[in-house]
Parts: sequence; structure tokens; C-alpha cells
Amino acid sequence: MPNRVLSKFWKIMRLSVFFLLLFVAQTYATVTYSQQTRLTLNMQGAKVIDVLSKIENESEFFFLFNQKLVDAERQVNVDAKNESIDKILSEIFENTNVTALVKDRQIILTTANPEMVVSEQQKIISGKVTDAKGASLPGVSVVVKGTTTGTITDGNGFYSISNIPEKATLQFSFVGMKMQEVSIGTQTTINIALEDDFIGIEEVVAVGYGTTKKSDLTGSVASVKSNQLVAFPTSGAVQALQGRASGVQITSNNGDPGGSMKVRVRGGTSINASSDPIFVVDGFVGGILPPPEDIQSMEVLKDASATAIYGSRGANGVIMVTTKKGSKGKTRIEFNSSYSSQQVINQLDLLNAEQYTTMTKEAFPTYVNSGANTNWQDVIFQTGAIQNYQLSFSGGSENVNYYLSGSFYDQEGIIIGSAFKKYSVTSNININATEKLKVGLNVFAERANTNGVITQENSGGADGAGVIGSAIKYMPDQGIYNADGTYTTAAMHDPIDNAYAITQEYENNLVSDRLQANFSAEYKVIKDLSFKTTLGISTLNNRTGEFYSTLLNRGRSYGGLGSISSIKNTNVASENYLSYNTTFSSVHKFGAMGGYSYQTYQNENWMASGSKFITNAVSYWNLGGGAVPQIPASGLVEGKLASFYSRLNYGFSDKYLVTFNARYDGSSNFSENHKWAFFPSGAVAWNMKNEEFMRNVSAISQLKWRGSYGLTGNQAIAPYQTLAGLTNVFSIVNGLAVNAVRPNSVANPDLTWETTAQLDFGADIGFLAGRINLSADYYRMVTSDLLFSVPLPQYSGYSNQLKNIGKVENKGFEFTVTSKVLTGDFKWNLDFNLSSNRNKILELPNGKDILYASGPGHLISLGNTQILRVGEPVGSMYGYIYDGVYQSGDTFIPGSGFEQVAGGEKFRDIDGKKDANGILTGEADGTLNASDQTIIGNPHPDFFYGFNNEFLWKDFDLSIFIQGSQGNDILSYTLLELETLGKPINSTTEALNRWTPTNTNTDVPMKTAARSERVSSRFIFDGSYVRVKNIMLGYNMPKPVLGKLNLEKLRLYVSAQNLLTYTNYRGYDPEVNYRGSGSGAQSNTNQGLDYASYPNAKSVTVGLNIVF
Amino acid sequence: MKNIRIKMLTILLMAGAMSCTNMDEEPIGLLAPDTFFKTKQDVQTAIYGVNGALAHESLYGRAYICNMQLRDDMCDIGNRSTATYRIQVNDFGVNSTNQWMSQIWQQSYVAISCANTAEAGAKSLGLPEAEINPMIAEARFYRAFCYYNLVRIFGNLPYIDYPISDPESVKTLSKTLEADVYKAIVADLEFAKQWLPNKQTSDCRTRPSKGTAASYLASIYLTTKDYPKAYTEAKYVIDNKDIFGYQLEIDFQNIFRADKTSTLKEIIFAIDFIGAINQGSYNDDLIIPMTFPRDINAGFGVVVPSMKTYESFNDLDYRKKISFNLEVKDPKTGLMVPYDKWKEPRPHIAKWSRYPGNTGAGFRYSDHNYCDMRYAEVLLIAAEAKAEVSGTSAEAEGYVNLVRARARNDAGVVGTYPEDIAPGMDKTAFIDMVIEERRIELAFEWKRWYDIKRRNLGDVAFKGANSTEPHATFDATRDYLFPIPKTELDVNPNLNPQNTGY
Repeated sequence: MPNRVLSKFWKIMRLSVFFLLLFVAQTYATVTYSQQTRLTLNMQGAKVIDVLSKIENESEFFFLFNQKLVDAERQVNVDAKNESIDKILSEIFENTNVTALVKDRQIILTTANPEMVVSEQQKIISGKVTDAKGASLPGVSVVVKGTTTGTITDGNGFYSISNIPEKATLQFSFVGMKMQEVSIGTQTTINIALEDDFIGIEEVVAVGYGTTKKSDLTGSVASVKSNQLVAFPTSGAVQALQGRASGVQITSNNGDPGGSMKVRVRGGTSINASSDPIFVVDGFVGGILPPPEDIQSMEVLKDASATAIYGSRGANGVIMVTTKKGSKGKTRIEFNSSYSSQQVINQLDLLNAEQYTTMTKEAFPTYVNSGANTNWQDVIFQTGAIQNYQLSFSGGSENVNYYLSGSFYDQEGIIIGSAFKKYSVTSNININATEKLKVGLNVFAERANTNGVITQENSGGADGAGVIGSAIKYMPDQGIYNADGTYTTAAMHDPIDNAYAITQEYENNLVSDRLQANFSAEYKVIKDLSFKTTLGISTLNNRTGEFYSTLLNRGRSYGGLGSISSIKNTNVASENYLSYNTTFSSVHKFGAMGGYSYQTYQNENWMASGSKFITNAVSYWNLGGGAVPQIPASGLVEGKLASFYSRLNYGFSDKYLVTFNARYDGSSNFSENHKWAFFPSGAVAWNMKNEEFMRNVSAISQLKWRGSYGLTGNQAIAPYQTLAGLTNVFSIVNGLAVNAVRPNSVANPDLTWETTAQLDFGADIGFLAGRINLSADYYRMVTSDLLFSVPLPQYSGYSNQLKNIGKVENKGFEFTVTSKVLTGDFKWNLDFNLSSNRNKILELPNGKDILYASGPGHLISLGNTQILRVGEPVGSMYGYIYDGVYQSGDTFIPGSGFEQVAGGEKFRDIDGKKDANGILTGEADGTLNASDQTIIGNPHPDFFYGFNNEFLWKDFDLSIFIQGSQGNDILSYTLLELETLGKPINSTTEALNRWTPTNTNTDVPMKTAARSERVSSRFIFDGSYVRVKNIMLGYNMPKPVLGKLNLEKLRLYVSAQNLLTYTNYRGYDPEVNYRGSGSGAQSNTNQGLDYASYPNAKSVTVGLNIVF
Repeated sequence: MKNIRIKMLTILLMAGAMSCTNMDEEPIGLLAPDTFFKTKQDVQTAIYGVNGALAHESLYGRAYICNMQLRDDMCDIGNRSTATYRIQVNDFGVNSTNQWMSQIWQQSYVAISCANTAEAGAKSLGLPEAEINPMIAEARFYRAFCYYNLVRIFGNLPYIDYPISDPESVKTLSKTLEADVYKAIVADLEFAKQWLPNKQTSDCRTRPSKGTAASYLASIYLTTKDYPKAYTEAKYVIDNKDIFGYQLEIDFQNIFRADKTSTLKEIIFAIDFIGAINQGSYNDDLIIPMTFPRDINAGFGVVVPSMKTYESFNDLDYRKKISFNLEVKDPKTGLMVPYDKWKEPRPHIAKWSRYPGNTGAGFRYSDHNYCDMRYAEVLLIAAEAKAEVSGTSAEAEGYVNLVRARARNDAGVVGTYPEDIAPGMDKTAFIDMVIEERRIELAFEWKRWYDIKRRNLGDVAFKGANSTEPHATFDATRDYLFPIPKTELDVNPNLNPQNTGY
């Protein structure tokens, strides 16, 4: 195995070196650009200036000259065929005193000896502007202070200004950068590196239907920039966001390659509906996220002032994604590549064959050791690998700019047979069609291919065990194969397939195609007023093929079982809005925006399956060849949403800011009596630093107070959920399937959306000229009209009906600190964010507890495992309090099904006594029964945080990104199954300390066949962790070398992901989420559960960024 | 010019967009009950909903069948580490949150709502009686069938015979007394008997016919101890057996062969399952794993006869051979494994696992049609009712002897056991003999518990000296009825009081 990985590694390295050489070769070729370049021109009677422009357009040359000295209006004739630039220039300026000095691509025209320019009073200054890391900055404004003379830098950051008066000072300014002034003195070349403006005053952030300067922001918005998103290879942008923004909690649902993530902005606002935020990609609500490399920034809108503009979809927060755009100037080519080698983060310590046999015999005396000694984890885990490549081209001319990118991500998982591959292309083209009309087209296409293995199985019985589930509990004394070459199945208990067989004989292939195009046109109606319209279409096509070969239990009983299923989701959206922004009397800033949007969704699905195949070789590609067809399925769901929205901003003197937002949403999902909903919000902000009395407080560079309140919604209701319906029911009559229906749902004309009212107070404070910036927010959200399935009398034929009953609260604090700790040669930048959210149920139907179960189906004795209770957080774990092991001589507490022997599990008797009305009193009744269960765990963290440190020294950069969560509990079904010690299955090495007559001083009970699994505090673990998510050491090729190579940038780095994790959790990984994926009720109610999850990986990465 | 054009376009765009504000839903594939019933075929489609609803994991796929068997004195819990709610049923420790109770209750009412919807749909068509009444009769048979099971399990219960469009309207309903429920059941079955055909299309036995309705009437009257009527109905079925196409199957084994059941003349009513296909909990058949030796071919070994039950069968009785597995094949090794090597080392039920037809994954699913009423039972009802009415008679003896004669046919070899009954038995002894004959003949066919209940045999069966499955916890004042699910009492307190003892 390692050899294979190594060889792959070399392949990648070779590829990278090849690219490198390719560009180096090109670079050397261009050192002699002026000598090599041949131009063909034929212009008769043309002005000199036109000829020069033509040359600029057709080559990479650019001219610097003083119009007073060079007569640009003079008419000339040029007829050149494949001539060198020198030849052409001498032709143009024949018989004049103008001479040309060619410096690579730069040509200076002057009337005197060019070296004399230095002494001229009215001189030309040229140079290059870069950022602090040396990357060129296009579009920087360079102005001669106190004049209107100026220019902007080209695509490579070069500028040139002529006509510069004596003792002039140049001002360099760029959005997000500190303005710098340089007095010219005797210099002719001024190269300058601009520094990030960490006060952030000019930083522009995306908000709904527009952008705003950060200083004008009244809401709570967290912004994450491109460089953080690409710090290490991730399968998607959501993963890259983890730990970067306060108030945003991102957890992996499962560690499988390409697996989904759960995103919560300020906690889960719902219980039965989705708590997922919406994504808005370049204005397209519900748009598809491009790979992180193509994203310029992600803004998380958190408070109602920011989210209410998205109305009935804003309650869970909004994540605005802005993709990269091109800018005027020469084509910028960027190539990024990385290679990661991955290992499982951790292995469980399990018993070996001998230990297992000894233990099993204590409960099952007839057990016979099968003779092998297999470490099933070693069998299924492998060294995984990720390769990631991206190549982008961006640039633009006066009227067109473009950004084109292609990327490829290829991951081989750490479990045999699991893999993920993704190809994508992104194209952003913007055109100034006329002076007043801008049009743009944003196109994104992606194909992802996932080979899945079974993990986190819902039920791991005989035919359902997954790879991890089997690997950890399967008898270590069995081998992979029987003597006859067939796969072994478990000798005891459920005869599950062995883990290796599952990796080999189960096929699951998902091909996912996403296509999105978003057209926009913006028209400047009059000064300050513009109209923008967009039309976006996005489709998702998923095809899943699945096959169980006859060598697995499930396939065997069907004679091979194959299925193929597809979904096709289409989302079409049009936004149309007017924006008006003006400033009057120089202190009143006024903005208004209003518009209309219309969006439709169409989700189709279809599925076919078959069984009993002649051979396993056909997989799922010849279902018709199966002797026993299975039932096909198909479905269609459609929805539409029409909205009117508006925002008003007013700012006085940059001190007092007010914002109002409102959206009026009509949704087809809503019930007959509530088709339309209104969501308003308002916010105020006070830029206290701009007050006179703060002018002299120099230690404080920024001080802003913010407050907002508003309502947002959650559509919650699924399409058709408010209608009465009959449903098809599978029915057999006389051995044949017949058409049959049954009543399924009753009409619900009053069902409505969930509404979240949110209050937010925040402050943004900057110290020491912006070296330290602190943002803090307090918020409280109350979601009411929660959708609950209220039990109906079952004798009505219906079990339950959705009602708007219930309230949940989320409140918390968020802190963000960004600091330039050191700014000298050795730079240290620090970003820290910490969020604390308290989730609490305020109201439930009839105030009654709702118990529910989430245990794996094959652990049938578990019953209810969690509870919804007023005053407690959603997803509280519910079970018995474990009091250790009974010793002989103890008083055994009676109770049907509870052990009453030495070595048995001892639970605490806490309740059961009933008063005269049959109500529990909370007093112990001397017996163990269901009333002794209580809340034993809370899956919500006390707080979670991200901590990024970046150190820069000369050409080196080092960054350390730490991320963690504190105070959350995990209910581990994995350890519960392995450590109950009832069934003849393998255990962790905890079992070595099990109670035996000679080892009594222990908390681990004896092995006994009489014990069934029970949720107790024994299996609740502290899930806190601190994780070094990424350590990266980068080396930037120094500028002189880059110059020689004619590269903008060349950076090499090595990094490690998930290298260290500090946790007390004994499972694979504390970042777990069994049965909590998707966006339904379970994603809220099931948190902090672990069962047989695909472990996260730790990786070592080498990478390369090149910019040409 | 250009600007004007663009401005016009802008206005048009805005106006066009604004016009789309109709938010009505037009679902495709969702059937609205108000507009569904247009033809007789639609009514039949709704009636077939009941067939599907019965072949559900909560009823004949597992919960109902297993619940009834664990409750009786024949099947004990095999695997005692199984779910508590199963042990509670077996050990008389049921409480009102028992999962099986809720499942049976809920799913039976789902089936009833199908029947009610179908009946109302049929009436809405406005067709002549002769055309539509057979369909109404079929719907009403199913409703009666479901309530018959429910009333025996729960006693007084909410009785609903109309479709419900607003569940709020029934939230305050009170319970209907057991006797009145029986009256309604009888009325439905009388209607069914009047209007159902003598034979269903293709002689299908998983849909009711006139004979089915009469057979269940006989069973109901036996339960309500209206013996003359029980006798009349049973006699009616026996007299018309040729018209209805009923007769005893020659070989007892064939009744439990999945490949044969659909063609057998003995079957009067069965619940139809098909192997290796399922749709969630529908057509989900777990009877085999529940009754199969644990850990062999995915058996759970939960519903397992007690050793004394096995011993209570005469070794010479062919039915013992058919009813019990003494060894089964382990598919992993291909070898036969005798019962003393099983997890629960005692013989397990064979009736369902020996010839299951096409099973699916994990030995789940089968082609069985689980027979709820067969001709042999009608004969035994006739014998018992006749004896109750007029004491032992040649006629009554004859019915039992028919059943015994068939049992002597050991796959074509006619044996000597069980002998014909001795003529002229004392009435009580005769009736006891019939009950015992039912125990053997209908073993593991979820009838025994109802016999114990209607004959008040609990104290003998669970506490008597010869108990095959002793349970000291049995309480005759409580355990003949199960508790009404607590969730129902919570939603509608008018359903109180809870059944005695819960």
C-alpha cells in the first residue's frame, strides 16, 4: 500500500515540476521579448497616439511619454511586416528628436537622452504596486497629491505617471489597503507594497441585494476572505469555512470523502424544520457553491437586520458567496496544486483474538476460537490521498473583464473503496455594453463522483452492517476468508458480513452534476439610480447506482440486489431591483433599494431496482436482467416563491446610521389561509469614533455600536404538506401487486411558517491604529410557531398532524479579535473567534416531554434515547444514571430487566413514586423502571472557537489554525455496543478491566449474556476537543528570483491537517454526527451521537501556488 | 433611442415579473380524497388499501401475530435479551406505553380508515345497489374484521365507521361499549354476507366472499357465547362448502407451504404477502426471523414454544411434525443443526419457516398468505357450538373426526393417530376436547389466546399444575384485556377509564 501512495506522490511531483519547467522556459523566452517580438502594422495617415495604442493592444509593450515633448497628434504612415519594435519606432519617429528607450516591455519616449529624464522638472514616475506578500495589485489608484493627475495600476500592478510637478507626493490607495503617500524626491521608480488596512474602514462586504462599506454596516456580518478558504485542501467551500467565522458552527456529519457538513448560524432555530442557512451565490439564492479557490469572500449574515431581506428563508442565517472576478489589465494566470497523504486520525483499541476468546467464554462457555487473529481496522484502513489542482485566468480590458477557472479534486479515502472526485469550471464575464448598461454572465459546472462505503448504518443487523460497524465488533479470531475461499460471516450473534467483504462486494456510486448560469444586467437609469435584473438557472442531477453482490448477506438472499436512482432538481430565479444611493448636503447619505423576485423549484426523482441476477458482474447496469424485478418509484415536487423586498439606509455625518429592511414573501408551500408573509427589521448604529470628543482619543481607532431587531422566517412546511391526500399503498392481492390507496394526510389550512424574532447588540472596537480589532455581539433569538407534529387520536386513522406550536430560544455571545501583534520584519497576525450559544426549548405542544429514539436499529433494547423538554436544549440525551458495578453483598435494586447480581450494571433509582393522582413525585420508589431515566447529556458546546496565527518572516510564512469545541457531550452508540459486554462481539480494551470475581475494583461490568444494551451515563462522553486543524509553512520565492523567472508569485508550502486533536473522547473522533445529516428534524434533534462513523483523517500536504 | 428602448424593457421586465403572484399548489401524483372517487375501480383501489394495511409489520407482518402468540401458553420468549415490550406481553407485564399495543391499535385504525373511505367513496358514486353493494360489502367486511381483532384485545373502544376529514371532530369521542361494537361488527358482516359473491374473482382467498363473512360471524358468535347463532353460521358454511369451494386439504403440511396456499380449498381468509419485495413497513413479513432459531440464517428466536408445549403434542401426531422444527439448515455451513445446539435449545415453530417460498434479506419476507380462517376451524366451531347448544352428538363428533382424519394422513401414508374421538362423551369433556383439538390443529395460528380468553382458562393455563408456560403474574381481572395506548388517553381523556389494572 505505501508503495502505491509513494508512486502516486512522485507522479504528482513530476507533474508539478513539469508545470514549473514549462513556465520557466517561457519566462526565459520572454526576457528577450523586445528582440523577439515581431509586429505587423499598416496604418496610413494615422495619428502617432493611435499607432502607439495599436501597438499596445497587439503586443505587451506599453509606452510612457510626455505629451508636451512628443507630438502625439502628428500624422504618420507605418507599413511594417514582421518588424521588430525598434525598427517600427524608428520609422514612426524618423526625422524627429524623439528617441525611444526600450526596457523589456516598457518603452519610454522622450526628446532628450532618456537618462536625462531624471533631471527634468516634469518627470515620469513608474513602478509597481504589490501587497504585503509581494503579489501584484491591479487597480490601485495612484494620484499626485493635491491634483487630479493620476492613474490606476495595470493587471500586473505597474503604473506610470507623467507631468509630475516638483516636490510632488504620490498617494496610493486601494480598497481594503492602507493609503500610502510617498514623496518623490529624485526617484523615477517607486515600487511600493501596500499593507492591509486592518481598520477595515474601506472594506466592502456583500449584503443582500448590494454591498456596503463595512463602516456603514448596521448588522452583524462575519466575513471570510479567499486566503483563509484555500488554506488547506477541502472537498468544498463549506468545510473551508469551519472555525473561521464567529457564530458559525460547522461539523462534519461523517468523515467520508465528499461527505456533507452541518452548518449552524447562531444555533438551531428549529426543531422539526431545517435549521440550515441559505447560500446566496453572487445574488442567486440557493445557488451552488463553487470550489473554495474560485471564491473571493464569504459573508455570513447573522442578525435580523442583515437577514430579514431574505424574509421567509432568512431565519437560519444567510451565507453570501462572492466569486472571483477579473479586473482590467494583463491576463493573470494562477496555478495551484497540492497533494495530501491521509491517515485515519485514530484507531480504537480493540481486543485481540486471545483476549476476545477469553472474555467471550465467560458468558458463552461453548465458544470455540476460530484460530485467526485479525485486526479488522488494519484490514479496512489504507493511506488515503488528495490531489487538488486549479488553474485560473483573469483579466480584462476597458469594457470586459473575465475570470475563468478549472479545478480538479481527487480524493482516495482512508477506507478501502471510498473515493471522491470533482471537476469544475467557473466562468465570470462582465461587460460594459454601453456607458449605462453592464451585463454579466456567471457560469459554473461541476461533476462529482463519489464511491461510497457503508458507514453510520441505521441498522446494523445481519444484512445491514457497515464497514466500520463490522470492523469494530467482528470476532478478531476469524479470518477474512473461509477455507473454501468464500468470505467469513460472524460466527456468533448476528451473522454479519466481515468488513473486508463489505468493502469489496458492495457498490455505491454517486455521480452528481451541477450546472448553474446566472445572467445579470445593470442599467443606470439616471444618476444614482440603477436597475438590476438577474436570471439564474441551476440544476442538480444525481445518479446513484447501488449493488449488493451475492457474496454479501443482503445480496445473497436476493440473488444480487441492484438499484439505480436519480434526482433532478431545478431552481430558476429572477431578481429585479432598483437601487438609489445619494449624498446630499455632504452629510446625509441616503440609500433605497426595492425589488421583486420570483423563484421556482422543481424536484424530480425516479428509481428502479432488480434482483436475482445471473452474475454479479453486471452490477446495477442491467436491472432488466434480474429475474425478480423490484418496485420502481418516482415523484415530483414543485414549489414557487414570489417576493417584494425593500431596504432603506440613512446615514448622518458618518456617525449615525439607520437601516430598515422588509420582505413580503408568497410561497406555494404555505397553507391556503397563509400564502403571504411579512418580515421587517430595523437597525441603528453609532460610529462613536467619528464624534468630535473621540477625535483625540488616539488609542482607540474605531468604536461603533450596533443594535438591531427584526423578524425572519423559516418556510418549514414542505410542498403539499398542507393538503389532504390519499397515498399509494403497496398491496398484494392473489399474489400480485395491485393499485391501492389509503388516506394519508388531512388538510391543514392554517399551517404557517416559523418566525424568528432576533435582537442583536454589537460593538466594533479598534485599538492602536487598528492593530487590534475587536467585535462583540450579543443576540437573542426566539423562534415561535414551531412546526410540530401533534399527535392525533390514532383511531382517526391518522397519527399526527403538523401544528404551529412551540418555541425555541437561542442566545449567545460572539467575539472576534483580529490583531497585528507584530508588524516589523517578523510579522504576527492573529485571528481569534469564539462563540457561545445557548439553545433552550421554551414551549412544546401541551408542555409535554417528547421522547424519541436514535439508536441503531439492531440495538433493539435501547428504546427512547433523547428528549425534548421545556427548559432544556434540543437533543438532550436521556437515560439512566450509571452507578458502577454491583459488588457481592450490595443491595440489589429490583426492577424487571435490570441486573441484580455482583458484576452487573448498577443504575440509580431516582424516581417512580406516584402521588394520589398517579403523577410521579420525583422520589425514589425502590425499583428500577422507565421513570428512573433522566437527562444525562447535552450535545451543545458551551462555546466553540477558531484561532488562526500567521507568522511572516522574509519569504517564509507559517500559519497555525486551531479549532475546537468545549463542553459538548457525546452519546456514543459505538462504545455502547462494544462495551455493554452482553453480546458475543468484540470490545474495546476497556473490557480488559471488566468485573470478574478476582477483579472487583472496577466500573466495567462483567461479561454476561444476560445484559442488553441500555443508554446510561456510562456512554455519555465529554466531546470537548482542541484540534490543530492546519499547520502550514510556506516559502515565497523572493522577488528578484521571480523577476528573473518573470513570475508574479511562486509559493511552495507543506502543511498538516488534523495533526493533533486533544480530547477525552475514546471514539474515533469527537467531531461526529450520527443520524443528524440532511435538513429534516433529525438534523436538529440528533446531535452529538456517534455510531460507526467514517473517521476523520489527518493529512500531510505539499502544495504549490504560481501566478504568472 | 437606445435608452428609451432599454427603459421600456426594464418596465416590461418588472411588470412581467410582478404578474407571477399566484401561489396555489398543483401537485402531480398527490391524490385528493374529494376528487378521487369517479369509478368503481377507484372504490376497489381504496378497498385494496385495506389489504395493504393488514399486510403491515404492525399487524400480520409481525406485531399482531407475535403478540397473540407470546400472550398464549404455547409460545414463550426465546431470546430474553429481546426488546422489553415483547417480554412484557409474554410475562403479563404490559403497560400502556407498550409499543406493540400502540402499533396494533394504530395500524388497525389505518385499515379501518381505508375501509371507511372506500365505503363512503362507493356510496358517493350513486350507482344502483346491485352494482355497488358488493363493493360496500367488501369494505364493511374489512371494517368488521379489524374491529373484531381490536375489540377482543382492548374491549370498549372508540368506534368509527365514517371517513374523517377533520381529526379535531373526533377528539372528544367516548368509548363504545364492547357489546355495541360487536353489534356493529355483526351488522357489517350480515351486510357482507348478503352482498358478497359466493366466490371472489379467480377464487381469491385473500378477499372476502359470502362464506368468509359467515365464517367470521360463526367465530364472533362463539366469542360472544351466542352458541346457537355460532352453530347456525358454521353450519351454513359447511352446508354450502361446495358453493363456496371449501374443503379440508388432504395433507396438513400443504396448508403451510407458501407455494400452495393460494390454491388451497381449505383457506377461507388469508392475508397476502409476497416474498423478497417490500415498501417500508408494508408487505414486511418478519414472522420467520421472529420464530426461527436465533443467529441461524438471521433468526431472532423470540417467539419460541416452551418445551412443555412441545411435549404436550403426541409424538404420533403428524401435526407435531409439521408444527415444530427439530433441526434446521445453517446456510453458512450447509449442515443441519439440531435444536439442542441452538441458542434457545428447544424445538421452534416450523409452520412458517419450512416452506416460506421466496424470502428476502435476512430471512425476512416470504410468500406466505397468513391464514386467519380455514375450513378446519369452521368445523371445530360447529362442533363446539353444537355441543354447547345440544350436548354431544354424532354431528358434532363428526366435525372433529373430519379434522382428525385429515391429521392421520402423513404425507400420503395414513396412520392411526389421532384416533376418532370416543363417541358419547360428556358435554364438558367434549367441549374441553374440542378446545384441545383447536390447540393442536391451530397451533401457532394466533387463535389460542382468544380461546383462553373466551373460555376464561387463564388461571389454569398459566397457574395450573399442567401449565405449559407458567406465569405467576397472570391476573385474570387485568390480563384478558390489554391497556389502551397511553398516547390515546393523553390526546382524548374522554377515553378514560383505562382498562382495569393498568
